[in-house]
Amino acid sequence: MAGGDQPREPQRQVPSGWVRHPHERMLITPLMAGVGGLIAFFVVVAIVVWLPIHTFDPPPSADWAPLGDSALAGRKLFAQNGCYVCHSGYSRPQDVREALYFLYPKVSQPGDFYGSDQSPNLLGTERTGPDLSQESGWHPDDWQRAHFYDPRFVDPMSLMPDMKSLFSDKQVNQVVDYVEQRSGKSGLLRYAGQLYAKHIVLGNQGFPQPYTGFQGAHKPIVQAKPDSQLTPPKGQLPEAPNLSQIDRSYWLSGDPLPVTAANLDRGKEVFLQRCVGCHGLKGDGKGPAATFMSPPPADFTSKDDACCGGDTGPGDFYYRILRGWPGTAMENFGERLSVDDIWRVVLFIKTIPNGTLHTDRLPQPSDYIVWQPSKELIAWTKSHQKLTDNADFVKKVATDPFVQEAMRLFPGLAPGDSFLINDRKTRLSIKDAAAGIRALYLDMLNRAWQDAARRGEKLPSAAQKDILPTVPGQQ
Amino acid sequence: MAERTLERRPPLTADAPAPLTPRARQPSPFPDGAARHWIISSIVWLTVVDLFGLVLATEFVTPEAFGGISFLSFSRVRPSHVNGVILAWLSMMYFGALFYMLPRLVGTRGMWSERLGIACAWAWNLMYLLGVIGLLTGHSQGREYGEFIWPIDIALLVIWSLNIINILATVAVRTIRPIYVSVWFFIASPLWLAADYAIGNVIWHPGHIWGAPSGALNSSLSDAILNWWYAHNLFGLWLTPMLLALTYYIVPRITNTPLYSYTLSLISFWGMAFFYTGVGDHHILQSPTPAWLKTIAEVSSWMLLVPVFAFTINILGTMKGNWDKFFTNLPLRFTMTAFFFYFLVNIQGAFEAIQPFNKLTHFTNFVVAHAHLALLGAFTILGMGVIDYMVAQIWAKPLWSRSLSEWMYWLVTVGFTGFFSVLTLAGFQQGFSWQDGIPEVNVLPQLHAYYIARGIFGAMIVLSGIIQIVNIGMTIFTNTAERRRRETIVVAEAIAPPPVAS
Repeated sequence: MAGGDQPREPQRQVPSGWVRHPHERMLITPLMAGVGGLIAFFVVVAIVVWLPIHTFDPPPSADWAPLGDSALAGRKLFAQNGCYVCHSGYSRPQDVREALYFLYPKVSQPGDFYGSDQSPNLLGTERTGPDLSQESGWHPDDWQRAHFYDPRFVDPMSLMPDMKSLFSDKQVNQVVDYVEQRSGKSGLLRYAGQLYAKHIVLGNQGFPQPYTGFQGAHKPIVQAKPDSQLTPPKGQLPEAPNLSQIDRSYWLSGDPLPVTAANLDRGKEVFLQRCVGCHGLKGDGKGPAATFMSPPPADFTSKDDACCGGDTGPGDFYYRILRGWPGTAMENFGERLSVDDIWRVVLFIKTIPNGTLHTDRLPQPSDYIVWQPSKELIAWTKSHQKLTDNADFVKKVATDPFVQEAMRLFPGLAPGDSFLINDRKTRLSIKDAAAGIRALYLDMLNRAWQDAARRGEKLPSAAQKDILPTVPGQQ
Repeated sequence: MAERTLERRPPLTADAPAPLTPRARQPSPFPDGAARHWIISSIVWLTVVDLFGLVLATEFVTPEAFGGISFLSFSRVRPSHVNGVILAWLSMMYFGALFYMLPRLVGTRGMWSERLGIACAWAWNLMYLLGVIGLLTGHSQGREYGEFIWPIDIALLVIWSLNIINILATVAVRTIRPIYVSVWFFIASPLWLAADYAIGNVIWHPGHIWGAPSGALNSSLSDAILNWWYAHNLFGLWLTPMLLALTYYIVPRITNTPLYSYTLSLISFWGMAFFYTGVGDHHILQSPTPAWLKTIAEVSSWMLLVPVFAFTINILGTMKGNWDKFFTNLPLRFTMTAFFFYFLVNIQGAFEAIQPFNKLTHFTNFVVAHAHLALLGAFTILGMGVIDYMVAQIWAKPLWSRSLSEWMYWLVTVGFTGFFSVLTLAGFQQGFSWQDGIPEVNVLPQLHAYYIARGIFGAMIVLSGIIQIVNIGMTIFTNTAERRRRETIVVAEAIAPPPVAS
């Protein structure tokens, strides 16, 4: 070793000029270490950085879509506030599951990242929360706003920091736009479906549009129009538009599980874990997230009118928990809860009017309110569940993605069904829904395309824009 | 035979005037001005970035803990923590050590310009302070490990370049012609990092200079390739080579043993240069990036074991016959503990970098554990020991309290080991759950206990950093040489035979 930390002996006399080091030969000169080290470095850099950057230029995938200006502003906020540290930005082959309600319906393709509006990269490195590359359209805007305000409002198990102190009303709208438009065309299609379903649900139930930004935090729960303005056309069941969002096989189905104390207890546990943010600790639909949402969350406390009219059977509940209720803020729990647990929650919901949500109360089988379908419902079911109707209802026949999306949103509508919803203005049928979704989708895509062109970004040929979206993993 | 009598001597008292020992009286021949500034800054930043980490650990347990304080939001604190560990704590510690060791190795009286080194230390502190204020207020480029905004990047590169000039000039005016292994790294590693930082942060593309998008390639996937190449080389071409350089200095110096093999050190130097530069893409192995690049990354990650084993054998060979000092000499114990964790992190990393294992562990806390194994287990523990060693040498007096140093060692070692273990287990829990199709949010409740344990172990690490500040501060500001003398007298009194009555 050369030199000492503390020379204990008298300083070694260094003759003028160079001296030979006591313990070593000159293995590397400073020039070799510096220049040679840099040459080694740049040789490898040429291979692993320069080469891929200059040769890897995938064309846009069929699913790729540019971002609109507002969504791009949201992307910038997403990047600047470090959201990528918990949310990755690509789904891997092993993430994808084939099912109706899984959040990763497809594997990210190289062409999905085309376009300079995708810079900087947000691929991420950790998943404390879910991957967001396929998030668009799974949740409506009002759910997103409540979630950004405080994630525990809609998901009590979440660890995400609340964004109420980070974003202004305008900024949160931009971030929501980004989340809803980031997943390419398939995401835009889902989002268009959400918007269309919201249009139908609000019209049918007589609610205004939800508050924007974080306004919901300071406002009362939205009020519906009086029932007098919401009368169905003659001969039509008031529940018919709601039922159209539920697969017919569930309309009259009962709960397959027995009403036991154990099942009810587990149902209560799951309810308290997952549902109270919106539906409230009393089950009255007045949870902290309720003011953000339109329509507001369902109230389960009324005995004769358990939820959404007295005609809500166990099958309806099950289906809405499993797949969500597009158009409302009800998200799907199919990925997060087992089938049995969903049925147990359904059992438990039917005991809430008897006060089973009190902290010191265990739900008992005697609390369970047995559901009886009304005469009108049975009559409607008979008139609208004919074999002939269902015979045409072969999902695989539809190849048009907008029809597919309409059928995903309104699985209870037969191709021949067509009726006015309860505002007596809006017509509901698969055909109308497909046309509406298509219009919304094209409007969003065209505006994003125009925004990108105005920003001067590199865009593929117009033929790419005309490629229809797909509905991955949904049919 | 005459009875032996003990010579009469005046009784030892603790109040006697203190004759300074010759060693303590002699001023250090090295000014070490630059080293002092960089070292003292680094131990302050260590506690700051530790506390950032503790904030994050707390938010994993109770996300509402700091509700309503925007600058303590998890997503803003995490980049501050990561950048702070690398650029404020470890880089400052490494430069401090470099400015201490380089003059001693090349036979100069201090750095080429100590004043330049001091000025750079202040500028660096200011640079990180402004950078972290930016991150905490949402001014970020949004690229992982490259979050600092463009003006900060430029400031960093300017200061870094001044340090390089200082280093190269010192080497140029050296009086010992052959340069030791550590000096190879002292020359090459700052050059590598400067190039890595400038390329990786795309500094020729400022964009929006106060935030994103900035310092990024236009093509997203190319940007990701560049991003992860850059991020990994922060460790591969700066933090790790400097760990080697410091270990190559400390171990022979403290054991007073020549380095085991210079040929092996050649392998470790060139192997590092060739293989580390190409591993970055193993961070995005399942992303839609070119397969050949992933292959290079996987192969390089395994080839990296060659320089790692060369280094390991070299250090173990030097330690042969010296292991008693591992138990008695604290800086050496820190160094060898860090050495062990460094070896472990490379073995772990090699497995992590191949597809089958990566599929299971990627995106989980396993990766977080791995990152802490390198930056906390290896680099930080080494840095704490080296600082204890250097402070005693620079100020030419013993440390204030040996037992506080022991506390520091055991708190950080036990704290880190626990931290690493629980996060590794949590990572497997996540990986296997996701493999079964369980969504992320459902796994979170299972992780709660791990997160609590991580917070407690993390608090131990914070405490050890604070202990180091106290110990170093008391060493500098009190007369520890006198204190040590009094302690010695007390001990001598206790063991001295009783004076014989005349």
